Amino acid sequence: MRKITLLITILLLSMILVACGGGGSEEEATTAPEPTEATVEEATEAPPAEEGDCSSPDVFCVGLVTDVGEIDDKSFNQSAWEGVQQAEADLGAQVDYIETQDAKDYAANIGLFADEGYDVVVTVGFALGAATMEAACTYPDIDFIGVDQFQSPVAPEGWACGDQTWPMSNLAGLLFAEDKAGFLAGALAAMMSQSGTIAAVLGTDLVPPVVAFKEGYENGALYINPDITLISTYHPGGLDVAFTDPEWGAATARQALDQGADVVFGAGGKTGNGALIEVAGQEGAYCIGVDSDQWETVPEAHACLISSAMKLITPGVFDLVSASHGGSFPTGNFIGSVGLAPFHDFDGTVPADVKSRLDEINKGLEDGSISTGYNPGG
Amino acid sequence: MSKTELRAWPGRIKATWQAITIPLVAIILSLLIGAIILAISGASPLAAYTALWEGAFGDSTALGRTLEKATPLIFSGLAVAFAFKAGLFNIGAQGQLLFGAVIAAGIGFGIKGLPAVIHAPLALFIGALAGALYGAIPGALKTYTGAHEVITTIMLNYIAINITDYLADGPWKDSSPGNVVARTPAILASAEIPRLNNIPLGFFIAALVAIVIWWLLWRTTIGYEIRTVGLNPNAAGYAGIKVARTVILSLVISGFVAGMGGAIETQGVVGRFQPGFNQGLGFDGITIALLSKTHPIGVIPAAILVGAMRAGSSRMQFKADVAAEIIDVIQALMLFFVAADIIVRWLIRLRATDTEKITLSTGWGKQ
Repeated sequence: MRKITLLITILLLSMILVACGGGGSEEEATTAPEPTEATVEEATEAPPAEEGDCSSPDVFCVGLVTDVGEIDDKSFNQSAWEGVQQAEADLGAQVDYIETQDAKDYAANIGLFADEGYDVVVTVGFALGAATMEAACTYPDIDFIGVDQFQSPVAPEGWACGDQTWPMSNLAGLLFAEDKAGFLAGALAAMMSQSGTIAAVLGTDLVPPVVAFKEGYENGALYINPDITLISTYHPGGLDVAFTDPEWGAATARQALDQGADVVFGAGGKTGNGALIEVAGQEGAYCIGVDSDQWETVPEAHACLISSAMKLITPGVFDLVSASHGGSFPTGNFIGSVGLAPFHDFDGTVPADVKSRLDEINKGLEDGSISTGYNPGG
Repeated sequence: MSKTELRAWPGRIKATWQAITIPLVAIILSLLIGAIILAISGASPLAAYTALWEGAFGDSTALGRTLEKATPLIFSGLAVAFAFKAGLFNIGAQGQLLFGAVIAAGIGFGIKGLPAVIHAPLALFIGALAGALYGAIPGALKTYTGAHEVITTIMLNYIAINITDYLADGPWKDSSPGNVVARTPAILASAEIPRLNNIPLGFFIAALVAIVIWWLLWRTTIGYEIRTVGLNPNAAGYAGIKVARTVILSLVISGFVAGMGGAIETQGVVGRFQPGFNQGLGFDGITIALLSKTHPIGVIPAAILVGAMRAGSSRMQFKADVAAEIIDVIQALMLFFVAADIIVRWLIRLRATDTEKITLSTGWGKQ
């Protein structure tokens, strides 16, 4: 017994010594014994650091601060990051991201980019709105893109920023009509449902876009079938867990299936993904994803995923970054596009008349002849 | 010979030394293993730890953020550690902290016209009191119905999350134009707990409370009763201590401290109550209490350590391109080594025999 522990300890200590030796300096670390796999992997995940000096006018740097959550959340943060990566590929931008660990760090994380002289900072999620607004005032030379951050037409109460006027010239909110995307998803769900019962598994109602998705979804379903039964469930927890609780999402989806639902809309980060994956295990049931084309991001749900209610975040972020690059940065709110993702393997399953009906509804939503019935003001 | 030297040490110094050694070795071990993980993942441990250090202590702003992050951890750590002394596992610090935070916000924005010398302490006290009342519930449930505090406090956490979310999204919602977010209005300037330069005043309050808790536990009759109940409630009852009362009182004090932590977050950091901004602070208290071996004074360095790692993690992530999760890994390793201290004790003994310093360890194994 003692000998075994001795052996383990010696092994451990030798590993420590090796590691300390290898990590002696930055250069050494890059030539460390096992670089190939690690460096390749890192290159795809994060850009190489120390390329150029962001404070120099020749180097165009774009930073991204996530909301509490991971960059590869297969949803919101990831879509925005892909837009930034597109700027890296198409505009030659130098890019980096910071994953926020604590909601109190928003300002500090934005500050890390600002102090390095970044040109554009993308902040992902409406929760970063206040911090982004403050940063836009503190750093007037940086363009800020606030994904999902509504910029009110009048200056917020108590807002003051030197001689800047509202709206600030270096701050644009990237918004989406979630209710429209939800409406299309609801219409699709109602048309595909055999049982006349459909469900939605949602992140928290503390986040207005989630509410917009839900209201749009329900009204879209009712537009097709006024007698449809709707089971919509918000995550009961706070913001800290509502989008990162796939177990709850799965359990709630299971409950809805048991109550006869045969189409489930999963809208709420990893919570929603949990619902999709649960539905995939049920023969004959369909599921609909959210935010991005989740066919690409949640392969476990391929068995049920007929489509996704997409916010086209990636092109929206890229458009705004290139606008900043081209010197024509918009202010106020920039409305990005929404739509349903391709049907992928279900292209043959979804009948042609359903597809044409969806096109019709999409046109109606765009020209205003169909209302989603979602009116947050009233 | 050094054996006798050691015996000559005053008992208290020896005990303190013992108490400090294990966490210290655990920390060093965890950082070393963290370095291995960093190296394996292709990053430079040196660059990562340098960035971590700069982000935590690099300048006065960084130090301020470290102490700011340490402050609520001191409170929740104290809350959990104190309950431990009474033999109670208070998992409800999160809920008590949330109540403290939301009530302090309510007093902070709701009462107008008070001078700061009254308004700020009032909000702090009422916030703490809210936490105390919320702590009394599991105490009463335990003594009168026998419901175990682990179960009830876990459930009460959910209730607290939902009640505070409701307040922030309902009756107390910030109604200023353009606000769609669930949050209360900003507290008045008179209710704010200020910073001295970059250093949050709340940190000193936290340190003071830690000393008071230490004094309460080891210098008062109540403290003696609490510790006795913690060691053996049956014997304490037989010796004439009112066990039921002591259990409730312990959870009330524990809740008071947690609630005060929440109030200071509202008054000193966030400036209002906003759901999601007090994420996990109460649960972190369990980490801190274990790291400090449930000693009230030990809670302070433990909280600073964890606070520093949290404050520096963003910079580490940015400068060294390291996933911020490594911090959680290192923290988990620390807990592991503190909890499984037999590994650490064994390591120390090994090294001691190697270098002839010997018998620092005689007392270690058997206790």
